[in-house]
Amino acid sequence: MSTKIFWCQSCLNMSTRPRIEFNGEQICNACQWSKEKSVFDWTKREEELQNLLEKYRAKDQKSFDCVVPVSGGKDGSYVAHVLKTRYGMNPLTVTVRPALSSNIGNRNLSAFIEAGFNHVHVSPSATVMQKLNRLGFIEKGFPYYGWLIAIKTAVIQTAMNFKIPLIFYGEDGEVEYGGSTENKNKALYSIDYMKRVYFEGGYEKVFSKVLEDPGVSEGDLAFWQFPSDEEVKTHDLAFTHWSYFEPWDSYRNYVVAKEHCGLEEKEENNSGTFTNFAQNDQKLCSLHFYLMYLKFGFGRTTSDAGIEIRRGAMSRDQALNLVRLFDGHYPEEFIEEYLEYYQMDITEFNGVLDKYANKDLFRKEKNSNSISEWKPNFAVDVEFEI
Amino acid sequence: MNVVIIDYGLGNVASLSSAIKEVKNCNLIVSNSEQDIFQADKLILPGVGSFDQAMANLRSLDLVRIITSAAESIPILGICLGMQILCSSSTEGSLTKGLDLVAGEFNKFVSTEYTIPHIGFNQVDVSNPSILFEDISDNPDFYFVHSYRLHSAENILSHRTQYIDSFISAFESKYIFGTQFHPELSQTNGSKLLQNFLDYDA
Amino acid sequence: MLRKRLIFVLIYSEGFFCQSRNFRLQKVGKVDWIIDNYKFSEVSKYIDELIILDASPTKDIARFCDDVQIIIENIHIPKCFGGGISSLGGVSKLFAAGADKISINSLAFDDPRACKEIISQYGSQSIVASIDYKSEDGHEIVYKSNGTIATGIELSQHVNFLNEIGFGEILLNSMDRDGTGFGYDLDKIISISNLSTVPIIALGGAGNKNHFHAGLLIENVGAVATANLFNFMEDALGISRDYLLEEKINLAKW
Repeated sequence: MSTKIFWCQSCLNMSTRPRIEFNGEQICNACQWSKEKSVFDWTKREEELQNLLEKYRAKDQKSFDCVVPVSGGKDGSYVAHVLKTRYGMNPLTVTVRPALSSNIGNRNLSAFIEAGFNHVHVSPSATVMQKLNRLGFIEKGFPYYGWLIAIKTAVIQTAMNFKIPLIFYGEDGEVEYGGSTENKNKALYSIDYMKRVYFEGGYEKVFSKVLEDPGVSEGDLAFWQFPSDEEVKTHDLAFTHWSYFEPWDSYRNYVVAKEHCGLEEKEENNSGTFTNFAQNDQKLCSLHFYLMYLKFGFGRTTSDAGIEIRRGAMSRDQALNLVRLFDGHYPEEFIEEYLEYYQMDITEFNGVLDKYANKDLFRKEKNSNSISEWKPNFAVDVEFEI
Repeated sequence: MNVVIIDYGLGNVASLSSAIKEVKNCNLIVSNSEQDIFQADKLILPGVGSFDQAMANLRSLDLVRIITSAAESIPILGICLGMQILCSSSTEGSLTKGLDLVAGEFNKFVSTEYTIPHIGFNQVDVSNPSILFEDISDNPDFYFVHSYRLHSAENILSHRTQYIDSFISAFESKYIFGTQFHPELSQTNGSKLLQNFLDYDA
Repeated sequence: MLRKRLIFVLIYSEGFFCQSRNFRLQKVGKVDWIIDNYKFSEVSKYIDELIILDASPTKDIARFCDDVQIIIENIHIPKCFGGGISSLGGVSKLFAAGADKISINSLAFDDPRACKEIISQYGSQSIVASIDYKSEDGHEIVYKSNGTIATGIELSQHVNFLNEIGFGEILLNSMDRDGTGFGYDLDKIISISNLSTVPIIALGGAGNKNHFHAGLLIENVGAVATANLFNFMEDALGISRDYLLEEKINLAKW
């Protein structure tokens, strides 16, 4: 039975995007939500936010009262800044150190802290992180799987240890950029959601697999453990997305972070896209986006273009030109570092990529330098069947 | 065919050269030598800058004499400031005299309502049949950028444009041609006009 | 009847053409990238003029002229070059490189007399004044030196000053809107175009053809411009121009 592959008529989200939903006019849920946002009654959400903050605000005015995971980038910086200055909260910001952090990422994080925020820098064991990342890369095609888990687990643990139940993540990417809408109208979300959606159900598998490595003990994985349901209840932990309470606007976040938190952009485009101000903190990001391209047919440019289209800065036609030009960039500038990090040779590395390339969407071809490349079987925005 | 762009130190020679080369296969040189000018089949007098400076440069290069003489038998196209130079005088600077090959005086635009200089595309009335505008559509747009203009000129076929008032935007006679606008900056209309001039057989 | 204009702007810095966002530059590509991805010989059929500005922190006018000459080869439309002009010498280099007009910004503050000299030598119609301004506490304050130094001077005051010096046109650039794709600072453009005795080119914030439309509907505006390198690739400028003409905007036809 064949499946039709198509693109959102409003942005350029592809129907292959996991969990994405479309309406009868082939408009994706991110665009539908974006339209809704402009006429939405945010006063109710603001009220909910005030109530939530009141409940958790430090009554003694001496302690931290919320946790904001940050990387030094625009989104976490924005949320922390607003919680502090607009709502008078006392956020503790937390960074989980990624592997292969970039110079600009490090500079931005320092600038953020220097802007005047309380901050905890969590560094889970780099060797265990490497093993988890490597496993995630091979088993799930997620190059920084270990870090993706730790930004949940290690942050939650930090919150618990500081006795701060309320954690503000940035945006629910599923709702904002296309995917599952199950949490669209829910202020709080669960660990189950994290495991099911963010880790795509691979948490337990990768966990047990890494324990097969004689060099890894259960104790080594301490930072990657979730609290039990009991512990969540007794600590009254509340996980929420800022995007639930205020219309999420990444460009606005960028402008505010630049002004108040010392955010610096890269001098050039990030690889595989036309922007220079998002997700600058770690080098594995480019690999993550390339895998996304191989799995689903769209890359970082498509995602960034969607954001520009939805905020009215660019039309779909204009975005199409950019996607055709920049999308699906093979991160050759980082390959040497990736190989060293994963302790792989190029054959093994490309073998993993080959595994995840969707053979209905891509074919392997030798380019002008006789190097095998995955080439799309499709043209962007031209519907086809597989 | 020899085409000479007269070089007197003022003028967007590069723009003009490349525009000409695109429309006509010719031997194009940029020169102020008497020999080159007299051997030309067509002469182009460009102009970007001030009238005073232009006339001063022409005098010091002996080009006043050379051009006046050459224009008796070689068609010459004056563009913008070049057109101004072909005429009697201009109130720009200190009432300097031009080559006086066309009887007419340039004056500055005056208006409290409209912005000056006149900058941008504007239409030329081409209802009178002419060499320059042959096969060019009605009311064609050409690119203007000037503060001084010619109200009237004697004994020469003129085409007019409306900005603040009506002024002469192009004229032509057997050997003397002038455009206030820049054909080399005027897209397809401009290319056609240049081609018409270059193809013209006096 | 004088037409309004649609102008494309290229921002150059140290060998690269850049995307600017609130005056932070992102290097996009060198000359070859622009040639490959912005087929200017095609694009030039849809725009009235081209402006190329050197926003390099340290200027190298020779390199700028070299790079620019490659871009403009076979482009037969009005071209304005600018950036770091501090003397007659610089002006003549830009004209020699193929400029039809040149643009001056900081020199209007640093040496108005030199500006007058340049204008008297080359004619006011060839000299554009460019203004970069930002909103601060309800006032529009003009900046110089690629938007790095606040002059403390209010926008309308500066426009009057520039009119007095004798510049032929004004390129009015909103630093707040720059690169945001949020559209032009329409209120300011309206008031400045009513105030100025020379034509105003509006710049800063255009992301799509609707922004151009809104800008061109302003009665006294002379032209709208965009420096948005990403939003107008391929045929996007052509599509914009066709749309504007369909909407009966007063643009030239050829």
